[in-house]
Amino acid sequence: MPLPVQRDIREIEGILNEILNTRCPPVGRCRLLSSGFGTAHSLNIAEDISGHKECLGCGNCVDICPFLSREPSRREKTEQRTSMALESIVGEDCDLCNACVLVCPQVDTTIKNYVVNHRMVEVMSRLERRIGDEDEPDLDLFLEEAISSD
Amino acid sequence: MDFELSEELKMIQSLAREFVTDQLKPLERDILGRAADFSDARTYLPEEKEAELAGMVREMGLWGVGVPGELGGVGLDALAVCLVEEELAQTVVPFHFGDVTPILFDCSKEQQEKFLRPTLDYKKKPYLALMESDGGADPSGMKMKADKVNGHYLLNGDKLSLSRAGDDYFAVVFAGTDSGVTCFLVDKDTAGFSVTGGDERTGWLAQVKEPMSLVFDDCRVPAENVLGKEGKAFHLGRKWLPQRRVVRGARCVGVARRLLDEATVQARSLETFGQPIFKRTSIQAALADIAMNIHAARLMVYEAAWKSDNGKSIWREAAMVKLYTTQMVQTVVDRVAHIFNGPPYIEGLPMERLCRRALEASAIELTLERQRSIIAGDILKGLKV
Repeated sequence: MPLPVQRDIREIEGILNEILNTRCPPVGRCRLLSSGFGTAHSLNIAEDISGHKECLGCGNCVDICPFLSREPSRREKTEQRTSMALESIVGEDCDLCNACVLVCPQVDTTIKNYVVNHRMVEVMSRLERRIGDEDEPDLDLFLEEAISSD
Repeated sequence: MDFELSEELKMIQSLAREFVTDQLKPLERDILGRAADFSDARTYLPEEKEAELAGMVREMGLWGVGVPGELGGVGLDALAVCLVEEELAQTVVPFHFGDVTPILFDCSKEQQEKFLRPTLDYKKKPYLALMESDGGADPSGMKMKADKVNGHYLLNGDKLSLSRAGDDYFAVVFAGTDSGVTCFLVDKDTAGFSVTGGDERTGWLAQVKEPMSLVFDDCRVPAENVLGKEGKAFHLGRKWLPQRRVVRGARCVGVARRLLDEATVQARSLETFGQPIFKRTSIQAALADIAMNIHAARLMVYEAAWKSDNGKSIWREAAMVKLYTTQMVQTVVDRVAHIFNGPPYIEGLPMERLCRRALEASAIELTLERQRSIIAGDILKGLKV
């Protein structure tokens, strides 16, 4: 869980976009940009780890990756379930879907919000352009003219 | 934010309202029929009467309300056109203030003289030939073809048209060419072009629009009769067509207003079980529902028209207006049925035709679904409503 006071997107927007535009799973670098471990954890250790930015190795990013779902054989290259492992087995084949960023428990909510509001919308608008493009003629307007003409 | 209409708009509205009340509403019985079996009901007014009414509208300076000034119309704003159409929709008498389809606004100078001006002057009737008998609701899959031969086009195929028939006419034909769907203007006397059907009906069938069948058999059309650019038929009139959707919304509002008037008269005059029905709360609720629906729809129409007049894109607003007003009219019809204690489709009442005309544009469920996808498309792009 990241710290309550998280990274201000305005400070990191440039580098964040750079990361998100690079064809490589962005989760590890987004984690390093985040505020780090929060104080509320249930790990049985005395050491104060707040602010630490290591990967937990939970494997969420490996499980959600659509590329690895399509090519499960790549998973056999390593038993590790860290973001480092994800980067090495997916590499430039990344779909840039940003799902790994969203499932990582160590990435700041501010960054996730930015990804959802600014990056995923672009993908969706590309997908749905076919149904709502103003440049595409609306044939129904002609049909309505033909039906309601007197 | 100012919800008050300007003095000019109020004047246009009251001119149209007075015209409808004084000239058109007294003619309703001529249309609906006076005989007991309504055998003398008819679809349109006699042509002499229409010419007389058109002359009056010209004197009022409102002929061609939706037609731009440079094309010979009055060129009023979308909001003014909506006000006029809302008034005109309150009667079952089919009459308009020089309404011309915006598809023809892209005519070249020569085409304007030959086709657009006579249409506006009521001398020629345009037959919109878009639909085909087995074409379904998707106009892009049309089968009619136009082949380019020695600078001419050879049109072959059949079309259906719901336009009004007349003695002098021309067809606005959509046909597939090598570069896409192209629009052609085909004059009445062109060889190979023939029309069947479309005769005016009388009696109880008068309100059912029967399509005309347009047949093109090796019909030779010169290249100068291509409307707009070749292959770009569906880009015609794109500046004006979304606005028409709002205007049709205004017509729905007008119809609903008339239905409310009729329902109020009924609620006041009918007595059941020794009590006037307006005293019953369910009847009052129905009246209130109708009034609320009309008010909401009218605000949507006016706002969309205002946006259009201020040069803003009304792609989404027009979709919302169409979707809402179509559903609104259906709700109003349902509530009116409640007040009339049965379906209002009783022959010989103005309501029957009003409902029919209001619902005809929404006859294709697909186009309503399309409005939903336009609105949803904007939401997915990040629109905050």
